Amino acid sequence: MWTTQRFPAIWLLPALLPVALMTIYPIAYALWTSMHSVLLLFPDTPFTGIDNYVRVVKSGYFLDALYNSLLFTAIAAPLVVVLGTLTALFLQRRFLGSKIVRSIVLLPWVLPGAISAVLWIWVFHPSFGVLNGTLRALGAIDGSIPWLTSPKLALISVVVAHVWTQIPFAVVLIMAALSAINSETLEAAAIDCRSPARRFRHVILPEIKPMIVVLLIYNALAAFTTYDLVYAMTGGGPGTATTLLSFQIWKESFSMYDFGTGSAVAFIVVAISAVMILAITRALPSDLFEGD
Amino acid sequence: MPGRRNPLLTFLFAALILLFTGGPVALALYGSLVPDRILLDPNRSVLSEGPSLESYRYVFTGELPASYRQASANRAMISDAARQVPQSLVNSSIIALSAMLLNMLLGAPAAFIYARHAFPGKKLSFMFLILSPLVPAIALVTPIYMMLEGLGLTGTRIGIILVHTAKALPFTVLILSVFFRKMPQELFEAAVLDHCSRLQAFLRVALPLALPSIGATGLFAFMLSYSEFMFSMVLSGDAATRPVSVVMAALARNTDVSWSLLNTAIFIAIVPTLVLVVLVWRFVVEGLLNGSVKG
Repeated sequence: MWTTQRFPAIWLLPALLPVALMTIYPIAYALWTSMHSVLLLFPDTPFTGIDNYVRVVKSGYFLDALYNSLLFTAIAAPLVVVLGTLTALFLQRRFLGSKIVRSIVLLPWVLPGAISAVLWIWVFHPSFGVLNGTLRALGAIDGSIPWLTSPKLALISVVVAHVWTQIPFAVVLIMAALSAINSETLEAAAIDCRSPARRFRHVILPEIKPMIVVLLIYNALAAFTTYDLVYAMTGGGPGTATTLLSFQIWKESFSMYDFGTGSAVAFIVVAISAVMILAITRALPSDLFEGD
Repeated sequence: MPGRRNPLLTFLFAALILLFTGGPVALALYGSLVPDRILLDPNRSVLSEGPSLESYRYVFTGELPASYRQASANRAMISDAARQVPQSLVNSSIIALSAMLLNMLLGAPAAFIYARHAFPGKKLSFMFLILSPLVPAIALVTPIYMMLEGLGLTGTRIGIILVHTAKALPFTVLILSVFFRKMPQELFEAAVLDHCSRLQAFLRVALPLALPSIGATGLFAFMLSYSEFMFSMVLSGDAATRPVSVVMAALARNTDVSWSLLNTAIFIAIVPTLVLVVLVWRFVVEGLLNGSVKG
């Protein structure tokens, strides 16, 4: 670790400036909007303080949407990381066709959210869907299971589709982290630890832990702010079973044209995301965020 | 990895992974080869008429499939948006490749400094980078649109490239700094002993070792840009600048459009990207990992 007295601007500004350009003014603007009454039909934008926030928290959808979003994130983010890690560990092996499997795993990555939704509707559709068709052909069910129209199943279905879209990135990052482990460490581990499970826990896991933390944070954010996939699959229904908080930003702003309230929802989402990130970095300490 | 392997178990796992990740895409391929009337009829399958490439011909040449030329056919099932797919693929490739290159160029030096140096303002600027993607993009669409409108960058590819680059940069820096941190300290101590400057240590020691990781993170920026929808939609203009995600969303939201045509568009959109992703992953990332780092 080198120590420098001056801020290394030449190294950092190329990365910091574009990010600053796309965040500082827009966020300031959104924050201003959230504290004013900004409605498309009225040119005046009077200052309203925290009225917009109060209106959101007291609204009929808030508690349901918050609960759904938290539940969705709590299931989806760890699931992506665990499945991604397992798949990456498995794909380290070489077997007949392993290269093909490695390529196929990347498939969900190349699809925009709206398209993934179409593919998964195709799977879960009650009458034309492949899942019901297969179950019917196997004789497991008689009629059809309402995957997208029963509240509990709908949430599970959208979690499955969301996990599917996020798996490839997790696999790629964990595989990259696994490959970066020193081969001497692995050889020593192979001699010292007989059981693969213990070898994973004591040797491999500590090596890839920073990457797992990064992935978990990224996925918690991705799950908490996703809206397009879920909305395209269920429209937030049945009832409010899959209505997510992040979707309400869009709904307030672009369907009700109440930009003030939309921004207020956005900053509530920001506050909760910040708490979530803090909780993850506390629960899984790694040297990632230390200033050292 | 050493250890005993059960071939049956390996096969089972591989089949499960293939089914989950590739299954829905295989459905799209199947749907694109079969006309709607067979697709939606539970008693018929591809075997009753054989596969048909009519939808593919329509997307590339504009020749209407025979089944839609009958007098009774529903013309709404054919959408012009499907014909924009080839041009939108070109647009998306230009945008995503630019975002990828910019991310690698701008992100790698910053990640190196964060991983290997202590300096005043480090924590603050790093926190800024980490926390900047927290604000949901939907809330920022309006101000960013107004800002780029002022700069005359709406309706161009440059505006979209700029937004996508900035969106991916925090993650690029974060992920790359993890890799730079993992490099053995002795390498850099040796570089200092050899009177390497900071720039030389970066260019000669860190960069070559991190190339696979930089490739992997570049790929991340590429995919983020390729699948991003909201900014692409707001900032793109006519069909000449419209990226794939916007065209596909227009097709997917048109409830009249034929399943077969939609699946064809999906499949055409997937293939070139998949080829690119696999090539980068196979030859850049894995090739370098097996060659330089481990050997």
